[in-house]
Amino acid sequence: MGKREGKESIVDGQTRQAMKLWTLAQPVVSAFVTSVVRDFTARDDVLQEVAIAVIESFDRYDPARPFVGWALGIARNQVGLYLRRLERDCLVFDNALITCLASTFEAVPAEGTRSLDLLSECLGRLDARARELCDLRYVHDLKPIAIAGRVGMTANSVAKALQRIRDQLRECIEQKSALQGGAP
Amino acid sequence: MTLIPRTLIDGYLDETLSPDEHAALARWLKAAPENAQEFARAVLLHDRLRGELLAQAAAESETASRLSRGSWPRRLRPLVALAGVLLAMAALVLVLLRGLAETPVSAAVVELNRLIVSSTRPTDRTYQITVEDRTLSQARGPGSEPFDWGRPPKPPLDGAVLHVRGKNQFVLVRMTKEGLPFVTGSNGKTSWAARPDGPVRVSPDLTRFNRDVPGHEHAMPLSNIKEALERLRTAYEVQLLPVETAEGDVRSEERSTRLLVAVKKRGYRGPRRVEITYDVASGRIQQMRFIKMPYGPDRLTLRLDLNEERDLGAAFFDHASHHAADRTVELEE
Repeated sequence: MGKREGKESIVDGQTRQAMKLWTLAQPVVSAFVTSVVRDFTARDDVLQEVAIAVIESFDRYDPARPFVGWALGIARNQVGLYLRRLERDCLVFDNALITCLASTFEAVPAEGTRSLDLLSECLGRLDARARELCDLRYVHDLKPIAIAGRVGMTANSVAKALQRIRDQLRECIEQKSALQGGAP
Repeated sequence: MTLIPRTLIDGYLDETLSPDEHAALARWLKAAPENAQEFARAVLLHDRLRGELLAQAAAESETASRLSRGSWPRRLRPLVALAGVLLAMAALVLVLLRGLAETPVSAAVVELNRLIVSSTRPTDRTYQITVEDRTLSQARGPGSEPFDWGRPPKPPLDGAVLHVRGKNQFVLVRMTKEGLPFVTGSNGKTSWAARPDGPVRVSPDLTRFNRDVPGHEHAMPLSNIKEALERLRTAYEVQLLPVETAEGDVRSEERSTRLLVAVKKRGYRGPRRVEITYDVASGRIQQMRFIKMPYGPDRLTLRLDLNEERDLGAAFFDHASHHAADRTVELEE
């Protein structure tokens, strides 16, 4: 038996289907987790747990129901486990609000996530300073106060600059999406 | 609520909110489904931003890594490595035989370092900007001005005058079609824009009005010559062309100029090629040409000619030096 055959025997049809559906649902599930778990490293850990749970419990998924909602339910549980390990004073949103957010993410239309495919082009139009701030924030996972020390700005200016950059990117995506005839 | 929701959302994502502001955000989210939807849209962008930027960073890292180790198949790599060692030994012998002569590249780097040092001399510099060529992106028609996030068209760069001081002070003067000056600048503490009409806009964010100056997109801001030159050292291959003397001039060193050419390395962004003409004796840069320089979606070939080097005065880079005293000034946060 060759290597290729060996690999194919490991991933069965059900797992392949689970992975396919997970790939489609992942942007929304990931955003929901990020909405509650803001630390990127912790968020990655939680999201990984969600992905494993989704694959492992896929035989309990009812195909008659939307997959995103089912995966968000698993994410909701994993987020709950994570929050229970945190100190009480670290909690920002209560359970009712987190459930409300899960429902909101479930209702996000597909075109809402598809339009974000335009983000790459819009990022290419950022000026060097904006790009530097984005890299420090998103690649190096630095908060505005840490970024401020590196770029010679105040933490407040960095926070405002990041807000402005996201506004610019949002506008850019909306403009491009409108040009392509899709909803922003 | 003391802050507008957008600021609360961004503050939440960047973890800059106080406990009171967290509570205010939670109340706002519970108040209406539309609020939660707006929040979800913001988080989707925030989350995707991270994924996209991490992917781009990983791709750039992979490209650099591939370039450094070559793209040879794995089984050929030992042979390639051996050939590299033999070539390196041969090169070493050659250099020893030639009396440790400098290679043209290292000579060019030495000259580039000299230009960088020269650019830090404490004087103000004024350049004339000439746009020699402009490649329009397919999505935009001729005559349209550079991309600027939906803002009104800006005056052309061709014919503009750029004054620079140090690393973050500049004044860019462009003329509108009506022949009126449109001036943007920074005095190192605030940045500002003085249009021919409307209020003068001032911001504590030094990056606020610098996007009109080409080069800022790829760490080669023309408003900071030293930084632009330092970028050449890392992202470009530099070489020197022979000394040129003024016609009929036999005193070669006194009036001679030299051309330093920098060609962008693969995997880096910025102008494809940069040509710097400088005075051999003093290291003073007389002209800089940037070929195929990204400027929004366009690619410009532009030239900066040094007009003069002199102290422009303490207040020259303040906005007040570039508009009438009775103009309204709006301070942006």
